[in-house]
This record gives sequence, structure tokens and C-alpha cells, in this order.
Amino acid sequence: MTNRDPMKDQVAIVGLGSTGFTRDGDESPLAMALRAATEAITDAGLTAADIDGVVATSEPAAKGPEEIAAALGITEATHHTKPSPVAMFSLLDAARAVFSGAADNVLVVTPVVMGPWNSRRAAADPWRAGTRSSILPIPEDATKAAAYAAWASRYIHEYGATKDPFARIAINSRTNAAANPLAAMTEPLSFGMYDAGRMIRDPLNIYDMDLPVDGADAFVLTTAERGRAIAAAQGREPVVIHAATTGIVGKNDEDQLVGLERTGQHVVVDQLRRTSDIWIDDVDLFYPYEGFTIITLAWFENVGFCPPGGAEDFLREHWNDDAQRIEINGRVLVNTHGGSLSEGATRGTGHIREAVHQLRGTAGDRQVADVQSALVTPGGFFFNPQGAILRRG
Amino acid sequence: MPAGFEDDTALDDTALDDTALIAAFGGHGIDRDSAAHFRGRLERRLLVHRCDDCGHWHHPPRPMCPACWSWNITPTEVSGRGRIHLLMTLHQGPPAAGVDYADGHPVVTVELAEQPALRFTSTVTADFPADRLEIGTPVTLQWVDRDGTPTPVFGLQEDR
Ligand SMILES: [Zn+2]
Repeated sequence: MTNRDPMKDQVAIVGLGSTGFTRDGDESPLAMALRAATEAITDAGLTAADIDGVVATSEPAAKGPEEIAAALGITEATHHTKPSPVAMFSLLDAARAVFSGAADNVLVVTPVVMGPWNSRRAAADPWRAGTRSSILPIPEDATKAAAYAAWASRYIHEYGATKDPFARIAINSRTNAAANPLAAMTEPLSFGMYDAGRMIRDPLNIYDMDLPVDGADAFVLTTAERGRAIAAAQGREPVVIHAATTGIVGKNDEDQLVGLERTGQHVVVDQLRRTSDIWIDDVDLFYPYEGFTIITLAWFENVGFCPPGGAEDFLREHWNDDAQRIEINGRVLVNTHGGSLSEGATRGTGHIREAVHQLRGTAGDRQVADVQSALVTPGGFFFNPQGAILRRG
Repeated sequence: MPAGFEDDTALDDTALDDTALIAAFGGHGIDRDSAAHFRGRLERRLLVHRCDDCGHWHHPPRPMCPACWSWNITPTEVSGRGRIHLLMTLHQGPPAAGVDYADGHPVVTVELAEQPALRFTSTVTADFPADRLEIGTPVTLQWVDRDGTPTPVFGLQEDR
């Protein structure tokens, strides 16, 4: 495996845009994408004429880079792609375009849209009827994204775990979402409410699963050199991608994954550790994905905060009961924006956006003092595990 | 006319043609690589892809052996015995014949006896004892009809 990382600290994230996320949106996916994109380009101090790369996503109902470019009035682009959803696919694609010189200023646009298959409200909306459905044609189709609950029961079986650590992940997200004006769900969540949560895929209940929402995030990436100049002009701290990767194991079908002891998350962690100068003892913030709470337990264990099966004890020991949130050693906060469970199911773009806000000091009421680096781990453990370390730079 | 031709014709009389097979299993995402597996279901035989060269089994069906890159793959009937490896109970999901989410619909991933980590996902029989619906329980394949289509499910493998 390679140790080469010529891209280390060479690409900056200079623009952020977000519509915020809602359960009752009434805009088209393109409209949301354009709101986020124009905000991100403006936030970077750039105009459409400066953007020469467009990375869209293959999210259902999302428009391609050609339609985004046309709608934004971008003059010309030398890089345009449409990666899989989940944040690092598009962010890494954009970063590699910048690093390679394929484009100078790359826009990443990632709308998410409630589908008729995952929201009763959306199912009643005639404008969403044409949205490509990922509804499972048969209940027992394990190749679709339904097996996290099954692996949660396997985890409980292997480690004798209780639902307590699952509850803490959900409550932590809800607590943090309360300070995030972009978040869709901000009412406090208690252990009692979690325990009474409507069961969806036993052993996972409604609080264990990310929240279908409407909204969009957008980013602008450029070289670290240009990023430092932009940040200096704006009086902000520059933010660079220190290390980033995706990872899978070969046997990653949801029901054929050999076991939790070696998943794509381990591949991601190994690669980040090869290429990063910073690891968990040094990071100031941790943004593990929680599309399903079992994913988050696995991330805590696999990045090395605790041993396999150790998340239950770890989360109990690092729980701030007054604040109702996770504080690792009282210092490292987790998913300060509320994550996928409460901000909304943004496929991890929210985790990256929030990390960038914290690093450059624009996180408002949520701002954590003197943040230097953040470990962000979007994705689950089958076919989309991902990770990045972002730092001031 | 060579004798073999008549034999083939006789077989074709009982087998669904491709269009009918696709129609019968369209919701399953059937493709050329999994066609033999689904034809097997019509005969109530659970066929799993097995490599003729190295003996490795793989599922879902793909055209090449992931262990040795051999293309000599034979869809081969498995014993249907195994143990519950993964388990969840759906309380909502896509509409399906005979599936009542109000009571919770179990989905079991069974580790088949033929090879470690070779698994098949389905549900359990209607009379499966609730107190045995847990990881580790030995099960055996049975067939039920769902909308008139033979469907593999798992029943309790009685202790002997
Ligand atoms: Zn082989």
C-alpha cells in the first residue's frame, strides 16, 4: 500500500454554501443546488467566471454538472463529473482536479431530496413522483441499504452490547443540532424518548436512522496557495485537506461482508494513518457518520478511540451528563452540527461543512475555541467508507 | 433432425423464456448473471455460483470466480442448511405478498453450511418459533409461494 501523499495540505476549501435542511421543502433539487452553489461561490469571494470545474453527484433527482454549469452561467469548465453520493467522493474528486491542475476553482454541489420511498410527506407530493425510487422491491433484498440493522444485531450479539451507546449517539446529535440554524430537528431528545422510539428495523428505531430532508450543500475548492490569500483577505483562517481517502474491502455486499473486524472503515483508517501527521490524540473535533447509529459505534472503535466492542464503555465514560453530549476527554466534541440524525441526511456533506466552519472560526454559537484539526469520517462500512483530516493551513 | 435438438425442445417446453423469467423476477434486479439462480428457484432448487476450478462459492451471482478468476462457474444446489448470522425485523417496508409489517417481518441472513461467510438472505417460515429467532440458530431451507412464485425461506432445523 502506498504512503505517497503529494496532495497533503495542497488543496483548500474556500467556499461554503448551504440551504439548511427541512422536512417540508417545496423547492426543486436544482433550485436548492443553485442556492447553495451561489452562496459557496460568493463566500469564496469568486464569481461564476472564476469557476472552471463542476462536481455534481449522482444523488437521485440531482442534476448533472452540465445543467448546474448552464444554470449558474459558468463561462467554461475543464473538469465536470458526477460521482456517487456521500461526501468524500465528490470532495476528493474536486481536490484531485485542483491538485492535478485540471481546474483552478472547483464547485462541488450536493443536493439531497426526500424521496417518495422514505417520507410519507414526500410520497404525497406530485412533484416528487418522478424521483427515481430506490424502494426495495422485496423486503429481503440485502443488496439494498437495509442491512445496518442486521449488523447492529450482530454487533449486539458478539459484544453483549445494550442499546445505551446507540442512544448516546442519537442524543448527542440532537443536543448539538439545537445550536445549528441549518438543522431540521432541534427538539431535545432524552434517553426515555429514545427507548420509546418507534421501531423501524429492529433493533434500530426511528432515532437510529438519519433524517430524510430537503436541502443542499456546496463547496468551492482551490489550491492551498490561493486559499490562503482568500482567507487572508477575508480575515479568516484558511482550511486545507491534510489527508483524505475512500476505502472498501473487496467483499462488501451488505450480507456478504465477512465481519465487522475488517471493513472499508479499517481501510480508510489505515490509509489516513499512513498519510496524516495528525491522529486522534491531536484532533480537536470528530465527525463520525451516523446514517445509522451502528455505523458511528464502528467508527469510534475503528479509528482507535476504543477497542472493538468498546464503544459502550467509551461513550459512557466520555458522556457529559449536564450537556447531554459526547465530549472525548472533555475536549473533543462530536458532530457539533447535529449530524445526519438531526441536522439531516446530507450524505456527510454536513460533517465536512461543519468542520470547515469550525476550523476557520465561522461556526457562530457552536464555535469551539482554537480548533486546529478535525477528523471527518463519512460513510458506512459496506461500499462507501471515507475519511479526511482537515486542518488550518 | 438430430436427437439432441428434440431434447432441447422438450426442455424449452417447461422452462420460462428470458422475457418471462425477467417478468417473474423483475423486482429482484435479475440479470444475465443471476438468471440461472432464478431459474433454479422455479424448480425449488437454491442454486449458488460455484467455481469448477477451485471450488469457491460466491453469492450474489457473478460471472467470474473472485478467488481464482476462473470463468468456469456452475450454479450448484446447496444443502440449504446453515445458521442465522444476521437478523433484523422490519416494521415498515415495501408491500409484498404475505408480509405483515404490523407484526414485524423477520429478515434473516443465513451463513450456509457450504463455506464460511457464504450467506443467503431471506425470511423465515410462518411457524418459525419466536424464541428461536436469534443469531446462531440452525435453520434449513424451505420453499413457500409468494404471489405464486417459489420463494426460498428458512425453517427451524430441528435439533437431532
Ligand atoms: Zn475459483
